[in-house]
Amino acid sequence: MPVFKTPFNGYSVKFSPFYEDRLAVATAQNFGILGNGRLHVLSLSPNPSQPFTEIAAYDTADGVYDVAWSESHDSLLVAAVADGSVKLYDTALPPTSNPIRSLRTFKEHSYCVYSAVWNPRHADVFASASGDCTLRVWDVREPSSTMVFPPHEMEVLTCDWNKYDDCIIATASVDKSIKVWDVRSFRVPIAVMNGHGYAVRKVRFSPHVRNLMVSCSYDMTVCVWDFMVEDALVSRYDHHTEFAVGVDMSVLVEGLMASTGWDELVYVWQHGTDPRAP
Amino acid sequence: MATQSPTQNQNQGAESAEPAANVDQQGATEEPVKQSSTPLVFVNSEPMREEQVQNAVKFLSHPKVKGSPVMYRRSFLERKGLTKEEIDEAFRRVPDSAPTVQTGGVTQDGQVKSSSNIQQQAQPQALQPGLPASAGVNTSSATLSRSRFHWSHALIAIGVLAASGAGTAIVVKNSILPRLKSWIRKVVVEEDDEELKKLDRKPTLVEEAAQAAKSAAAAAADVAKASQDMLISKEEERKHFVEVVSLLDMQVQEMKSMTNALRRIEAQEDLRVTQTNTKQLIVNGKADYDLHSVRSTSPPVSYEPPSSLHPKSYMEIMNMVQRGEKPSNTRPWEVSQVQNSSTQVPHAQGNGEYLNSKVQDSTQSNGDGDDALPWWQRKNARIREIGNETEYNGNGSSYGVASNQPPPQRTWVPPQPPPIAMAEAAEAIRRPKPAAQKDQMSDTQSVGNSSDVSDEVTRIPRRSESEGAVEGGSSSSIPSTVEIQEDQELRRE
Repeated sequence: MPVFKTPFNGYSVKFSPFYEDRLAVATAQNFGILGNGRLHVLSLSPNPSQPFTEIAAYDTADGVYDVAWSESHDSLLVAAVADGSVKLYDTALPPTSNPIRSLRTFKEHSYCVYSAVWNPRHADVFASASGDCTLRVWDVREPSSTMVFPPHEMEVLTCDWNKYDDCIIATASVDKSIKVWDVRSFRVPIAVMNGHGYAVRKVRFSPHVRNLMVSCSYDMTVCVWDFMVEDALVSRYDHHTEFAVGVDMSVLVEGLMASTGWDELVYVWQHGTDPRAP
Repeated sequence: MATQSPTQNQNQGAESAEPAANVDQQGATEEPVKQSSTPLVFVNSEPMREEQVQNAVKFLSHPKVKGSPVMYRRSFLERKGLTKEEIDEAFRRVPDSAPTVQTGGVTQDGQVKSSSNIQQQAQPQALQPGLPASAGVNTSSATLSRSRFHWSHALIAIGVLAASGAGTAIVVKNSILPRLKSWIRKVVVEEDDEELKKLDRKPTLVEEAAQAAKSAAAAAADVAKASQDMLISKEEERKHFVEVVSLLDMQVQEMKSMTNALRRIEAQEDLRVTQTNTKQLIVNGKADYDLHSVRSTSPPVSYEPPSSLHPKSYMEIMNMVQRGEKPSNTRPWEVSQVQNSSTQVPHAQGNGEYLNSKVQDSTQSNGDGDDALPWWQRKNARIREIGNETEYNGNGSSYGVASNQPPPQRTWVPPQPPPIAMAEAAEAIRRPKPAAQKDQMSDTQSVGNSSDVSDEVTRIPRRSESEGAVEGGSSSSIPSTVEIQEDQELRRE
């Protein structure tokens, strides 16, 4: 499997919903403590001697912690930058006119917002997970958040909506657990999944299988879970040598996953295969 | 506004799949065609819990809480699981706290709604800043008075210190100087006395000197004997040492020859990049193993440092930043930096190419027999390759448990250890040697083979089988495991 080496430490990787061979990688210098950042847009090519080609790379003044592709425009992506700004990029425009502009600010959390995810069914709803231990659900048409609840006793690092059931959301936290909730009855979780050795950094639901989700953690592993089953852990991948910080499942190719971490490597592999096999 | 919609839409169904195009904020939700109210299911539909509200009111009425920023109070209540409505109700009941949430700057043009929101919120906010302002003034004056206290305290302390310093200086001048003078006088007087005494003792001194000389001679003789003994022992030690050094040299030469052979193999392997799949997998394993053994003599990097969760280089950078230094590789940021992104692209591509050529990609071998699909869609091909790998492993490997299981696709397959390059060296190491030399051999081997520490763990189950085969086994564990490794590798051939 090919590996791409980024110059900075990786933070997040996302497949494009329009092109099955395209992905974006968010990186930050010096583990994100201090320094610049870079957003890479990579293309996977069938040419085996050069599996990754870099379509674009955007430098930022501070580390880029997360990136997301727009689901309505094939060349737009959004970067979450460590200085608190959200930057919009258009790969179709020349590099000099990027980034485009900062759009809107939602300010309600009292500590860092680690992750924000759009609801795949309802285009105006998104959820945000924050270090103040709460999860907030927002509607862009409303001036303030529509729902707030504390899914964990410790900082919530990530959240993701289920792609098949629009009211199910998963959260994961520093307390090493992943919980799946129904937002209509958010007092009790549907499922609690333990098994990571350290804080869980990112969760993603599979776009192809209703109950499947993938998570990556500071214990350097990427785990795949099925939350409707009693023994939820489906598989565990141990390929990173530093914190595994970003993981994504491709919408266009079933079973294709990508992960990145502080070891400055980006792995792309099929579920069920060995990511480190050549 | 936000509270109107949930009460109206609490009871409506939530099963629609169509996203709502427009939900009017005035509350009318029944619009023709494909409109639905399902987005508003993402709100709290629970009734307010009076008990929670009362607890919140008690919390907010506490004097300590009143001194804290509003954001923290709200955040605390949210963390306790109160809903928005409950928190708002509690804030309403406790009179002088400022509960509202503000949305930040909106920069889009033409958003009439958002601008009207801001206007509406600006008015209640104008009232509320008046209330916390008075509370703020009180606290600030308290702090000011405390700080003034601090200033006066500081001044007084400085004055006291200065006065005491001056006082001690004066005292020192007055007392120590005379003491010094008297001491000097004493010394001078003593010298005079000594001179007088010396003259008296001269005749007796001669006899004493003679006696002293005799005793000194006796002592010198003893010392000479002792030094001779020491010299003898030193020579013996030196002989031993020379022997040890010669043995070490032999070992070093053998190790050098082995590493040279391994390097030659490595070079040959790099040339064999285009060969078949299964061979490449083994080659990969060898290369990894070689890198491990050649480069590092410390435990592998993947082990987390026991002191902290973060990697060591992360802690280094954190320490640097805390000390106030900047890591050297950050670039000062300018507006024109965007232009550099295009120049970075070919550079990054060059890096990527270089590294990807190093990583051996098996897809070249797949090119002939497979479909026109790109590599990441060839799911079947993947599984077939791993099947081949497990076959080969089953035939030749005695490495570990994981590689022999049929469904290893999910777990990482550990790399294969290298086979023996020079049989003669392996034989030489394996042959039994005299006991004295063996002890020294153990030391050298432990130094040279610390890189194999990580593999020893997996080899321990094998130890019991092959211990019988080791001839004249020594007591230390490290040489025995090294010999076992060589045994295994020889057998594999």
